Amino acid sequence: MDKILVFVEAKGDGPRKVSLELLSEGLKLVGSGQFSMEAVFLGKLPGTVKGKILHYTEKLIHVTDPALENYTAEGYAMALAGYARETGAKMILAGATQRARDFLPRVAVLLQTGIASDVTGANWDSNPMTFIRPMYGGRVLAEVSFSAYPAIVTARPNSFGVGASLAQKGEFAEFQAGISPGQVKTSVIKREETTLGKVDLTEADLIVAGGRGLKAAENFRLIEELARTIGATVGATRAVVDAKWRDQADQVGKSGKTVSPKLYMGAGISGAIHHIMGMDTAKVVLAINNDPHAIIFNYANYGIVGDLFEVLPAMTEELRNRLGK
Amino acid sequence: MNVVVLVKQIPDPEALVAIGGDGVSLDIEQKFAMNLFDEFAIEEALRIKAKHAGKVKVITLGSRKAIEALRTGIAMGADEAVLLEDEAFLAGDGYATALVLSRAIAKEPFDIILCGRQAIDDDRGEVGPMVAQFLGLPHVGGILKLDVADGRAVAEVAVEGGKETVEVQLPALFTAQKGLNEPRVPLITGVMRAMKAQIARATAADLGLATAQAGRPGSKVKVVQYSPPKKKPAVQIIPGAPREAAIEAVRILMDVERVL
Ligand SMILES: Cc1cc2nc3c(=O)[nH]c(=O)nc-3n(C[C@H](O)[C@H](O)[C@H](O)COP(=O)(O)OP(=O)(O)OC[C@H]3O[C@@H](n4cnc5c(N)ncnc54)[C@H](O)[C@@H]3O)c2cc1C
Ligand SMILES: Nc1ncnc2c1ncn2[C@@H]1O[C@H](COP(=O)(O)O)[C@@H](O)[C@H]1O
Repeated sequence: MDKILVFVEAKGDGPRKVSLELLSEGLKLVGSGQFSMEAVFLGKLPGTVKGKILHYTEKLIHVTDPALENYTAEGYAMALAGYARETGAKMILAGATQRARDFLPRVAVLLQTGIASDVTGANWDSNPMTFIRPMYGGRVLAEVSFSAYPAIVTARPNSFGVGASLAQKGEFAEFQAGISPGQVKTSVIKREETTLGKVDLTEADLIVAGGRGLKAAENFRLIEELARTIGATVGATRAVVDAKWRDQADQVGKSGKTVSPKLYMGAGISGAIHHIMGMDTAKVVLAINNDPHAIIFNYANYGIVGDLFEVLPAMTEELRNRLGK
Repeated sequence: MNVVVLVKQIPDPEALVAIGGDGVSLDIEQKFAMNLFDEFAIEEALRIKAKHAGKVKVITLGSRKAIEALRTGIAMGADEAVLLEDEAFLAGDGYATALVLSRAIAKEPFDIILCGRQAIDDDRGEVGPMVAQFLGLPHVGGILKLDVADGRAVAEVAVEGGKETVEVQLPALFTAQKGLNEPRVPLITGVMRAMKAQIARATAADLGLATAQAGRPGSKVKVVQYSPPKKKPAVQIIPGAPREAAIEAVRILMDVERVL
């Protein structure tokens, strides 16, 4: 039976949603009878996280080593490659998070294999399996296959659904990575938390984004209020990030983040290709712009041609009424 | 400080991209630009050189047209440029591309390698960390700040919900992120120098690589087929005065699309 490893990351007191998405896909493959699956967690593993992971896998491997105390690409790569080698894994799946995309390319080199980065779909039943990668900012989809193993795949958050959890908990085992001191030449010397606890744009289900049409930094209040009402994350265009109205971390697009929410609402955004490239896998797009010819309408499911200063507060108010807030 | 910068010439983000009749090739409008993140990498290299002396070498793997990216690098202030040009290098995946680049880098001693976070044509974001691993070096991905002193570097990276400061022994590789710096615009004297500059070239044989190790044959991931993205249905404009439209939008999102 071919073994699949799913690299699992934590956020707060639970596993990341994208990790559960991949565990759920993995469980489906296990159900087909041809695969076995292990969830793999590196570094400090809080008890609550462990408990939740165990409901999505038959087995959880906790890879431990003093070198994994803080994240470093070198340490994580050595540890995961070491375990994959040890168990003869045929496939490694991970969410296309900042961290996974940072160290998995190193794992590929260590295992002399390739990686399919940021895939948005998979044909699990084809032989060989193929994966779908958006390229050129989503203007082309490439279907790729592997000629070396393990196949390493990172999947864009929200590309797959989270399935039902298992009735009983999986097994748990530890694995010592055995990284020798001095092998890791990177060390984390400081960590500043600014916006802890917020849902990151890349994983958000709901996004409310604003552009230069907001006219001034303080008007982002209108975007924030709407976002708060529905529990959405705030996004921004490059124009407003460059104007210092919003932080770089909020930028959606080619030179910012790639997002894939269920709902993307954009107000005062023209729809430049560079922006679209970061959000065109959103399921439902609602654009609000007072220019009926704004390009963003070409990429939207729904549009309101109107003044955002009137539309946004009216939406917030209506949502508050309907959601009873 | 000897700094190597990896730069890639890519189709302009607005170039038209069409899928060839065979489904396995792309027809791309002949409009090119240097990958946006690579400009931040060159700028940072030039700043390191200004502070610590040394030289800046730009390397690209590509066809003859990719020389433009190298000339842009020289115009900005790089000292040397190398074009890795060989039929055998083309159409490689991240692994094959990183293998060739790492061999080219290893030809001469260096302290720092800078590259972009991601090339915005193939959207892989793999080459930097892979080059580092091929060379057995540490890397820091997506840096926003870099300070170099005494054989070590301190870099800042944005992590989810905050910022991390990381120290690393040199030699090391760094991938550049938007926010690192403001790339300079080449001066006319730089452009003149770039036009006259000698561009060194290297082939697979020069790097001691068999053709089967590079390009498509050396790739571990291969494209089976290209397809166009699903077309979104035409936009449905919600009519009415702003207030009515807003209320109707909420109804659609909650009751029809059920995304709220
Ligand atoms: C290499 C490169 C990379 C880039 N990367 C990115 C990226 O990652 N992300 C990104 O976003 N951009 C990126 N850009 C920039 C991009 O090309 C656009 O310049 C930018 O997205 C425009 O931002 P905007 O829509 O906020 O502003 P504008 O284009 O100025 O649009 C403002 C819109 O607001 C509307 N508006 C004005 N007033 C109102 C009102 N009262 N009510 C309703 N609507 C109103 C206007 O009709 C207009 O459509 C990049 C550019 C380059 C060259
Ligand atoms: N063909 C190439 N020649 C030189 N550098 C490259 C090449 N491909 C990728 N790179 C470098 O690696 C970075 C990441 O590329 P990628 O992994 O393809 O997204 C780019 O920003 C470049 O700095």
